[in-house]
Amino acid sequence: MMKMTPKAIFIGSLIILAAVVFVVVYMPWSTMDDTPSEIFRSRSKIEAQGRKLYKANGCVYCHSQSIRTIDWGLGAHRIAQSGDYVEDRPILLGSARTGPDLSQQGGEHPDDWHMAHFFNPRFTSPYSIMPTFSFLGMDNITLLTHYIQSLGLKEADVRMERQRYWKQKAIEAYESGPEENIKWLHNHVPQPWRELPNPYPTSEAGLARGHKVYQDFCAGCHSPIGDGMGPAQPWIYPPPFNFTILKDREISGGILYYQIMNGITGTAMPYFKKHLESEKIWEVGNFVAVYFINQSDANTEPRGIDASWEP
Amino acid sequence: MNDKPKTGLFAYPTAAIFCLTSIFWMMIATFLGLLGATLLIAPDLTEGIGWLTFGRVRPAHVNLVLFGFVTPGLLAAAFYYIPKLLRTDLFSEKLGILSAGVWNLMLVAAMVTLLAGQTQAREYAELIWSVDMMVILSFILVIINFVLTVKHRKEPILFVSVWYAGAAVVLTATTFALGNVVWRPDSGALTGIPDAILLWFYGHNIFGLLLTPLSIGVAYYVVPKVCKAPLYSHTLSLVGFWSLIVVYTHIGTHHLLQVPVPTWLKVISIVDSVAMVIPVSVFLINIWYTAKSKLGEIHADIGGKFVFTGTIMYFFVSIQGSIMALPQVQRVTHFNNWVVGHAHIGVLGFSGMITLGGLYYILPRITGRPIYSRLLADFQYWLVLIGVTGFAIVLTVVGLIQGNSWLNGETVHRIIPQIHLYYVIRAALGLMIFTGAVIGMYNFVRTLFYNPEETS
Repeated sequence: MMKMTPKAIFIGSLIILAAVVFVVVYMPWSTMDDTPSEIFRSRSKIEAQGRKLYKANGCVYCHSQSIRTIDWGLGAHRIAQSGDYVEDRPILLGSARTGPDLSQQGGEHPDDWHMAHFFNPRFTSPYSIMPTFSFLGMDNITLLTHYIQSLGLKEADVRMERQRYWKQKAIEAYESGPEENIKWLHNHVPQPWRELPNPYPTSEAGLARGHKVYQDFCAGCHSPIGDGMGPAQPWIYPPPFNFTILKDREISGGILYYQIMNGITGTAMPYFKKHLESEKIWEVGNFVAVYFINQSDANTEPRGIDASWEP
Repeated sequence: MNDKPKTGLFAYPTAAIFCLTSIFWMMIATFLGLLGATLLIAPDLTEGIGWLTFGRVRPAHVNLVLFGFVTPGLLAAAFYYIPKLLRTDLFSEKLGILSAGVWNLMLVAAMVTLLAGQTQAREYAELIWSVDMMVILSFILVIINFVLTVKHRKEPILFVSVWYAGAAVVLTATTFALGNVVWRPDSGALTGIPDAILLWFYGHNIFGLLLTPLSIGVAYYVVPKVCKAPLYSHTLSLVGFWSLIVVYTHIGTHHLLQVPVPTWLKVISIVDSVAMVIPVSVFLINIWYTAKSKLGEIHADIGGKFVFTGTIMYFFVSIQGSIMALPQVQRVTHFNNWVVGHAHIGVLGFSGMITLGGLYYILPRITGRPIYSRLLADFQYWLVLIGVTGFAIVLTVVGLIQGNSWLNGETVHRIIPQIHLYYVIRAALGLMIFTGAVIGMYNFVRTLFYNPEETS
């Protein structure tokens, strides 16, 4: 029988620990390839300052920065590679997704969306349980936004370039008056979508479901009455769209569907195709058409063969 | 045992102060947990108060549970049983009191810095360098006292509890310094993926080399004492001790199975996670056979009751942990509340229960007075037991909802309303646990300072 002397306990266990550290920490550390990935770039000074705020306020406890092969959600178009993290000290992979992964968050939204969202996340995302960060003050929120917009590195830069380009166009359109603005918005919806009516009939149940989707995803910006004066409105420019001016302006179900599905890059209007399935998009579109525009093309021609469930 | 029986408030001052440290910080730490749980259902509750924002409350909760409640409580028991088992006095009570003082200063510094947003943002290694140094100093003071007590022992044979307590403090002081990268005071981190590998090596060893061995040490002491039976097997003690140190230290990378780390390292972590059944079952067989047909004695002693319940929780959390390390399982369980549930079964159900058991066991023995109220102690037992069992159920359900929804292509955002109800239940269970902590504090303070039975 082994004799457990103090030496055996203290020195013996330390020797085991040293051997294990050599294998499971030192070996991967010394042998891992630290070549930057193709999307890698160093962070700017201002982005690094924002990252300090991200660390200080514990963002890492609710947001991972680690996309897996099995993911579908935000950022899922790029699986994480070790070369994405080569200058991260510390690495902020995170261990929970109480909120979405942020690996590729840069350029998902324009800056004004983030400002509204940091000031109160419920302004842009009524479901959110993220804390308000108004206590940081605008300067710090700006720094934090710079960091968030850098996530995804070179790919984020491409997206941010796109956001800036279309932001300028969207502002020009907005400032040239409602008529021009609507024309501009319509011109960027592909022609087949513009001519496509909502193929499904309006029903009480469908409108009720559309109402719920609207409250859960849209009301923060567009307001409960569709006039674009939701709580996020003061933060956002061009401001959220006022649906009540759209009557007799050739708004088809297809236009509503396309804009909800794809968003309007450059404006705070996000794409919803990750959050909402097809039926939900048709129903919230029809809710907007019936209640706010007071004009719906639901179930009008051309609508193809009726779906089998239609009454 | 000791020739001169020692009792009275000042006979074991180090154990007594660590005991109060634990029970006090349990209250603070569980309150912060309750606050965090409440913020998940009422996110605007602390609007405008930066130091009470969720991202600062959470690490304060975790660090104070680990270093404020569980570790000092388990050390309190060790400061009692080590001299007892070695038939000697603690090397220095003065040094012990000093270590308890430094420990509490460290906890205040930890709480203040974390709530102020002073953090290195690495899970379980958040504390900034200056507080890291206080943690290491605290451990070194404890180590000196333990080692010199062992050196001056009158009992030649070291009982298994002494092995575990000694190894726990020495190995943790080492892995803490390593895991917190103390040679880089600004960042306390390595760079890139190796930082994650080191972090989870260290993070998992907070459980593997600190909480688990200290808890096992207490169980090995308390269960045979309460049962008035010899330990079932010395051989099993040996196998359990060495296999724990060899196997547990390999498994940290199971936190990174879905991350680009070397595959061979993932394989090691998975194999060893499954191999954890060896040290776990060896310990449990040893303890449960010791207690065989003695459950009446266990039930009669409130300390024994807490400790024995802790060993049952150890069974569940370990089996769960081995299963969670399987990649197919982790596809569902990773990144969600399943893991939070697992952590609570481990830290509160296993280590926390054994901490409370150790405290309740030593309290009458270091004071020479009975526990002020057995009823309140039992009440606390049930509050904690229902609380942690409820956590396990509710958080597992939430984790399954989240994990399966995500695999099914639903976004994180869209699942939030579905799990709201469970978050409400979780906060209610948190309130039970916090209430249990307050009741425990009251019971301990009454036992120590205002026990009417002593004057009668």
